[in-house]
Amino acid sequence: MAYLTQPDYVKYICSCGQLKPITSLYFCRHCLKIRCGFCICHEVDSHYCANCLENMPSSEARLKKNRCSSCFDCPSCFHTLSTRATLAQPRQAAQDAAAGGDTKVENKQPKKMYYLSCFNCRWTSRDVGIPDQPVASGGWPERTNPFTTRMNQLLDYYKAIAQQEKQEKLERERKKFAIRGKYITLTDKTGLTGAMARNIAGLPSSDGGSSSAIANFVASQASEDVDELPEDIYTKEVNLKQITSMAQRLASPEWQPATVSRLHPLAKLLSVKRSQRCRACDHNLTKPEYNPGSIKFKIELLAYYHVPEVKVISFETIKPGEKSALLIKLTNPTGHEMQVRLLQPEDLPQPEEREEPKSIEKSLEKSLNLEKEPLPETVPDKPSGVRVPASSRVCPPSMTLSLPQRDDAAEYDDDAHHDTDDVILWRKSNKIALRLEVVTESTVASGVPANALLALEYSYRNTVPPPPTAGGTLAGTTPAPRDHTLYTTVLLDLGVVSG
Amino acid sequence: MELQDTYYNKSEYVETASGNKVSRQTVLCGSQNIILHGKVIVQSDAIIRGDLANVKTGRFCIISKGSVIRPPFKKFSKGVAFFPLQMGDHVFVGENTVVNAAVVGSYVYIGKNVVIGRRCVLKDCCMIEDNSVLPAETVVPSFARYSGSPARLITTLPEAMPDLMSEFTKSYYQHFLPTTVN
Repeated sequence: MAYLTQPDYVKYICSCGQLKPITSLYFCRHCLKIRCGFCICHEVDSHYCANCLENMPSSEARLKKNRCSSCFDCPSCFHTLSTRATLAQPRQAAQDAAAGGDTKVENKQPKKMYYLSCFNCRWTSRDVGIPDQPVASGGWPERTNPFTTRMNQLLDYYKAIAQQEKQEKLERERKKFAIRGKYITLTDKTGLTGAMARNIAGLPSSDGGSSSAIANFVASQASEDVDELPEDIYTKEVNLKQITSMAQRLASPEWQPATVSRLHPLAKLLSVKRSQRCRACDHNLTKPEYNPGSIKFKIELLAYYHVPEVKVISFETIKPGEKSALLIKLTNPTGHEMQVRLLQPEDLPQPEEREEPKSIEKSLEKSLNLEKEPLPETVPDKPSGVRVPASSRVCPPSMTLSLPQRDDAAEYDDDAHHDTDDVILWRKSNKIALRLEVVTESTVASGVPANALLALEYSYRNTVPPPPTAGGTLAGTTPAPRDHTLYTTVLLDLGVVSG
Repeated sequence: MELQDTYYNKSEYVETASGNKVSRQTVLCGSQNIILHGKVIVQSDAIIRGDLANVKTGRFCIISKGSVIRPPFKKFSKGVAFFPLQMGDHVFVGENTVVNAAVVGSYVYIGKNVVIGRRCVLKDCCMIEDNSVLPAETVVPSFARYSGSPARLITTLPEAMPDLMSEFTKSYYQHFLPTTVN
């Protein structure tokens, strides 16, 4: 939690070179690599309304333009509107009473009527003359877009174009395939590919009949004549309280109300639950449960549960040319014992193969929003042997530290076990506190941010069964967990260098 | 960064058998209606209005200095009625914060100087940043981080939020120590 309220003192270097706190990293158990939000695939799992927490299937969400049908946002301050009930005398009964006729007693019973009200800015649906509703939820008048027909025309047109392009692409691929394979197979000759037969016969590849939407489409025309500005445009006194703000206008792009009296409730936008997928191996990294109220995950491969966590306990101020003490805490979050060795970042072995950039490029194409240019705060080189401008160096101890597995019952144990060691401050179940030394070069100017790189070598027990090999594994034998030695590098933020 | 130790005066705090640490400088109205489920810290000058309706907290909750926990009311045609206030496990309430919510889920972080309006529902795993105002009857969904006045969703929270929050409240409890009497 301290991760969310404090600046990030410890940043891990993701396998793509990004610097991220451990909480925003993932760990792919199949590639055994750390992944971050930029090098994984985000997928929409389900749509739900953040207010009524109701699930909506994606097809329905698309139909309703990703808006909830029963919840509304305030058009003035964008806070969620609440339904309020009032008691209203039915008008008919009131008239009857005035006429002096004998009306039924139950008719005089006040009726519950509902209106929408914002508890933040006190806007109500009555302000803009929307009549009260007899039912608590739903039934609010829906406004139709003034340009519905034109919008539908455009939609049809672009759908037709998309269809055509898809068809052409398919055709092209088929042609390519036909050229590559010398012989036309039987299925190609007889079945599905009528288009191909047409091709052989020298006819145009697609029949023009489908594109009636394209043929009938009339493009928009820019017009010269514009309505004259009203005479009093410069002389009329402006009441700014009556005029909507830019944000208020853009919240309803179809109408863009210019005055406050035309603000209408906005249907609430839906939220999504996302699942993450590794780009390199296409395995799921996280998968939430379907229910919007649930906080559980079916798959949760987070770095926080698989990579040893480094936490800064305290440090002395960094001074150029001097040694300062640094206390860190290591935690083993896994269910297996872990051997950890601290290294200098340059001692890390070069990774035997870099991930083929080809496959990443290919998967990049799948994700539309990802920029291919280098992202901010990336380490320009490979993750290991990187030259992050670090002001100081940590002197790692040469010993291998053994961290026991995580044990939830251990919190009831006695106090920390204090070592007499110089390096190990204390041990407590799966945690270990270390006293390290940080050396700063005398050439470092004071006032620059102080930071140090620290590399970790850790053993990781993988319980995922290996992928079936071509030879096939023996049936019935449980695959033994495999032990791996993995490396990661962290960047410690140690304040500023003081002179 | 690891949490630092916070020290309290041993004579100021009452520690119950279930591990609740409650300051004597608090206002606990209607204490028979207040249930603290164990290892809860209620710091000085906090107010819990158990006289209005039941207040229930889970385990490992932290009620910071000067905060007010007050069950919400609803206006009806015939006067008002107060509703019980429920709080889940591992909830942090910052300093000088007023909580009028109907339900606060588990693993919720509420910053300092925050106002949570009447009958708000805070789902599990959400966070309200410092100096925010949540208007009445707002629903904060899971894994949402709200900020501002009126508080709005600004970003989402990491998937490990339950563990981050339980680790935070547990270590807060462990680092909340009595001053050693010399």
